[in-house]
Amino acid sequence: MTTATPRIAINTTAKSPGYSLPHKMGRALWAPMWLMSLMAFAIGFILAAARSSIVADFGVVDAGAQRLSHLVPAVMFIGFLAVFAAVSFSIARILGALRKGGGDVQETAGSEVETLKMAATARVFMGMMVMGMVLIAVMVVLHFVAAGNVGTWSAETLESWAISLEGFRRLGVAMYLFGIAFGLGTIIAVLHYQSGRIRDLAGV
Amino acid sequence: MGQQGPHPNPPRPQHSLTLAGEETSSCAKCRLEDSYLRKPRWRWLWAMNKDIYFEKEEEMTTRLATLTRPASGVDWRQQTSHRKVGFGLALVGLMLVTVTLIINLVVAGDLGASSALSNLRLSFGLTTLAFGTIKIGIAVVLVGILIRLWHRVDSVKAALPGLKAEGDGTVQTGAIKTAFGPANVGVHTPNPHPIHRMAQTMWAPMLAMGAMALGIGTAVSFAWAGNETDVALGAWTQGLQFLGEALLLSGIAMLLGSTLRALREGGGSVQESLGLGVVTLKMPVTAKIFVFLMATGLMLGIAQFIGHIVVAGGVDQPAAWFAWLGPLRELSLGLILAGIVMALVTIGNVLAFQFNRICQIIATGM
Repeated sequence: MTTATPRIAINTTAKSPGYSLPHKMGRALWAPMWLMSLMAFAIGFILAAARSSIVADFGVVDAGAQRLSHLVPAVMFIGFLAVFAAVSFSIARILGALRKGGGDVQETAGSEVETLKMAATARVFMGMMVMGMVLIAVMVVLHFVAAGNVGTWSAETLESWAISLEGFRRLGVAMYLFGIAFGLGTIIAVLHYQSGRIRDLAGV
Repeated sequence: MGQQGPHPNPPRPQHSLTLAGEETSSCAKCRLEDSYLRKPRWRWLWAMNKDIYFEKEEEMTTRLATLTRPASGVDWRQQTSHRKVGFGLALVGLMLVTVTLIINLVVAGDLGASSALSNLRLSFGLTTLAFGTIKIGIAVVLVGILIRLWHRVDSVKAALPGLKAEGDGTVQTGAIKTAFGPANVGVHTPNPHPIHRMAQTMWAPMLAMGAMALGIGTAVSFAWAGNETDVALGAWTQGLQFLGEALLLSGIAMLLGSTLRALREGGGSVQESLGLGVVTLKMPVTAKIFVFLMATGLMLGIAQFIGHIVVAGGVDQPAAWFAWLGPLRELSLGLILAGIVMALVTIGNVLAFQFNRICQIIATGM
């Protein structure tokens, strides 16, 4: 452990700055994403049950089973895309509550309002979230493309696509999780700063 | 409850007061006992457990509290290593997933190679291990947040007496409505909800069991990669690894539950230390949905593990079983993640409420 006062760039204003754009997006979008994820997981599981039935009756080489082998991960990963987005937006919402609340307290205490500038960890959080989301979205679209070409493409080509897309999908999930770790790490920095700031206000 | 004469639950604080026409106590065990005895269907549970209830839980909770609370006298300016460790683990996981992507691309480019199937299985095991590693990193960061929240409580306790206006000293107790939902006003820090107690006790065992299941599953995946015909090894790998993932996510959810407990307990203790009415939000709908989704997701995680054991024992058409067991384990993780969203939303609401309450105390002293 080291002892150090937080050394982070700050903005000084007369009034509480309120929410910034990422916080507003987090507040507006967490609920639609959350709902979308639940719907996608339910639909994906129903499709998986249908595929299981087809495989039991006709085997894995049946065209319907092959089509569903691309559709099931596509729909399931729409669910993961949405639920990880909802987690990320919820973290942004917490960061917004800390920013607005901290500003409000300083303003109520009659002090000038000091607010942290966006930390590098917050930029990593947003960057990774966007990259993970785009990567998974592209893979989902390509799964639909593959599903649409069952019967046209050879079984080997379809298998090759499935393996490649799976690898990229996983990377998208890892990017999301990596970004979430950094988003949560940003909360630690903000709490650390605010612990000192309220003591400064009271002169203790 | 009406404790008279020598207090039966020493060494906790021993005094009673009257609140909203009912006698209540500052003693946490007395208030818990009171809440059990009010409901006839729970009286038997209290009768069985009253002597050990606190001792066992407190022993476990105290051990874990040393991980999630700063030791007394620790300077708030001290930086802990949770962020660095968490970020490091997340980076290791991300790099491992990148390696498995390369493996997948190599296999996809030459499906006829003799090592293709073996490499795909290796890639599967390593990817799940990588996801688990990042999740452990996230859990470490969450522990850091918990410690920092308690430093925040100490700072607010130290600062508010110098910032607050002079109030008239009256406390209106009872249920109230706030802009953030219904709340209770009392004179003491409220007891934690049962889910808070469970979260505080269970987060570490969940993470430990998750890491073990994941580790064993990864070891089995190496054996699976070296054996191209064994269905049982494949079933054990998938079942164990995703049971581990579900337990790790549940451990993270429990840490978020502990965060909610810290916010409730810390917020109450700040208000109590100032002699003000202790305003605490009632459990919101989002918190109830969080508990439901987390429990459902974890049960499905266990169900997929049992399903994989059945396949490992031998079934007629393993391909048909795998066709729904795979999505079932994804559904399990998806539901726990959806629960985590609800926990984060609840934390955001509680933080907003607490800032609002601090502003109120500064402005009115009440």
